[in-house]
Amino acid sequence: MDTTLSETQRLLRESLRDYLSNEVPFDRIRELEREGGADQTLWEYLAGAGFLGLPFTEAHGGEGGELTDTAVVLEELTRRACVIPFLETTASALAIERHGDEALAGEVVRGVISGVMTIAPALQGATPANGASPRVEAGALSGERRFVDYGAEVTHHLVEATENGEPGLYLVETAADGVATESLSTIARTPLAHCTYEGAPARRAGGAEALQFLRRAGRALCAVQCLGNAQQALDMTVEYVGMRVQFGRPIGSFQAVQHHCANMATQTLSARFLTYRAVWCVDQGIATDREIAKAKALASRAGTEVTMQAHILFGGIGYTEEYDLHFFSRHGKERALAWGSTEECLRVAADTLDEVQPWQ
Amino acid sequence: MEFGWNEELEAFRDEVRAFLQEFDTPALRNELANRGEAAQLGPEQTRLREALEDRGWVRMCWPEELGGEGKSQWFQFVMTEEFAKREVPYGSGFGTMVGPAIHRFGTEAQREKYLPGIWANDITLCLGYSEPNAGTDLAALETLAVKDGDDWLINGQKLWTSAADTASHVWLACRTDPDAPKHRGISTFIVPMDTPGISVRPIMTMSGGRTNEVFFEDVRVPSDALIGEVNQGWYIIANALDHERVWIGAGGGLRHIFDRLMAHVREKRPELLEDDVVRRRLVELELDLDVMEGLVLTNASIVASGDTPTMEASMSKIWTSELRYHISNVAMDLLGHEGALTEEADGFAPLDGELERTYRASPIQRFGGGANEVQRDIIARRGLGLPRH
Repeated sequence: MDTTLSETQRLLRESLRDYLSNEVPFDRIRELEREGGADQTLWEYLAGAGFLGLPFTEAHGGEGGELTDTAVVLEELTRRACVIPFLETTASALAIERHGDEALAGEVVRGVISGVMTIAPALQGATPANGASPRVEAGALSGERRFVDYGAEVTHHLVEATENGEPGLYLVETAADGVATESLSTIARTPLAHCTYEGAPARRAGGAEALQFLRRAGRALCAVQCLGNAQQALDMTVEYVGMRVQFGRPIGSFQAVQHHCANMATQTLSARFLTYRAVWCVDQGIATDREIAKAKALASRAGTEVTMQAHILFGGIGYTEEYDLHFFSRHGKERALAWGSTEECLRVAADTLDEVQPWQ
Repeated sequence: MEFGWNEELEAFRDEVRAFLQEFDTPALRNELANRGEAAQLGPEQTRLREALEDRGWVRMCWPEELGGEGKSQWFQFVMTEEFAKREVPYGSGFGTMVGPAIHRFGTEAQREKYLPGIWANDITLCLGYSEPNAGTDLAALETLAVKDGDDWLINGQKLWTSAADTASHVWLACRTDPDAPKHRGISTFIVPMDTPGISVRPIMTMSGGRTNEVFFEDVRVPSDALIGEVNQGWYIIANALDHERVWIGAGGGLRHIFDRLMAHVREKRPELLEDDVVRRRLVELELDLDVMEGLVLTNASIVASGDTPTMEASMSKIWTSELRYHISNVAMDLLGHEGALTEEADGFAPLDGELERTYRASPIQRFGGGANEVQRDIIARRGLGLPRH
């Protein structure tokens, strides 16, 4: 048991933090929000610096690291509000490498590590999507998926679909005939698409196991994003209230403000433990849907409540578009809903209450 | 990062389980159930305590300079956890708090005089800290110790001195320099409770437990009753309080309440589980317990890595103490009027009255051991670095 960062993780975090603070100004995020699309320059850097290969096996050209390493990187990216399909691509490729089609795994993982291949999971969401569930017949995929993060920006979709009544994952090229994406605007202003498939050429990438892994990894890593938004808002708040002077003293010296900060810090640290444990359990193959749902519920709350409390303490300046706080409250709220909202996750836990074992 | 247990700790856990299998007997249970508020251990607890000493498990994780083996703190954690699972207590909390202070700040002669007795539980302690005018502002304490020849002469009054009626000694904070700034004029003493001039008056609390006020009238103690340097007391107390905070924070037992609530609902009130709102409420409690576990493990991890938790210890103390109220409150509410029944309502009270008892006893967890408001100050100032006013 050790909840502290390993030496590798500390180094990963520091080097990425340095790069992001120098090379990815928030105006870059604003520009992406206005013009749409993902941050291609950043993606190329991540590929070149080896960040994309962390969790994959050495046999496929990866680093053979822990999934928690990737989570540390994801948290750092979140804390800079980066607009890239990092979670989506990593979780998809890992699902294929660990539980999917072996022949396809090498091609996909190498493509991902080199930076040329990006993948968006297009799964049956917890939120029901209207429209036809995707089905595959004779290698052709038809149907639709409503909520696909980076659906228009990635090179491939990994689509949950049925073939002869059996669920599976199917790899589809975004540029292929029969694939159409329509952008959906969200509170996060990050890319989300409604995707329609009409006889699109699809390769089978995995079955029920790969699908289950992808759901679990996606939800656990999304909890990391929630946490990253909370942590960033907390740190920004602590810095700001320590400087902002009213009534002749820093507002951070007022006990009411201090206690809000103490509560925000407690909520963030609480979510941190469960979130990273969930990621670790996914990596070890010992995760349960119930434990992951509970971690996501907690992280979703932190990403919502801590970021919103930050606004209350910041006052007017944090409310402006010019200031950077809104990235984290908007992203925090959207990530709280993605991959299962608090309510959806609590429902999973409530439906499986019988699994609770006495402490022994 | 690792969220599982390595083989060495798993093996140790098995050893502790086997140990408890052997010593957690019906005789021990009977003794614990009829123990009342006695500070001295009964024969079964003494047997268990001695067996623990034989195995070297009591202080295995303490640094060597404090008489321990310097093993990883995780051994202590695993042992505490296994004892907590079976609800078997081991040893006195105040002893494990004061012992290290005497070891660190006392003389060689004082160590020899007191420590074996503290470890064997022959010396049991109460804490003479709070006074009528010194509660959360502990450094305002006024009980006076004046040098008189080679002796010290102590006069004053302590309040909320739990176990004063059963303890053999009091760990006492006195003012030794009334003219110095308040934090710099305090010293710590260890004083036998049967010293002439000490009188104890009981105060009953709403938890059903007893606490006391203790009066000191011309209490004469020899010079070696002073532990540490004169006027070094605040530093020594602050050290000991850090131990108390971790101790209170880790004192769970809440998980058992949740388990027994689940068992009660499953057996006696299955209709409640048909209600989605009830199920959701139970999940929320479970989540709160998960957070408690997370904070406790985060603290333990920091200690095991050689650092000292500051704000993390306070977070754990706040969370656990507030959850003690919250879990009993929600559970009583879910059960309706039967939630109000006490253990005296023979056979009718859910969980044999544990919910009602826990609810009634919960306030002290929040205002005691450093009030939660002060803990939030600590998180903000020592942890987050926010300015003082």
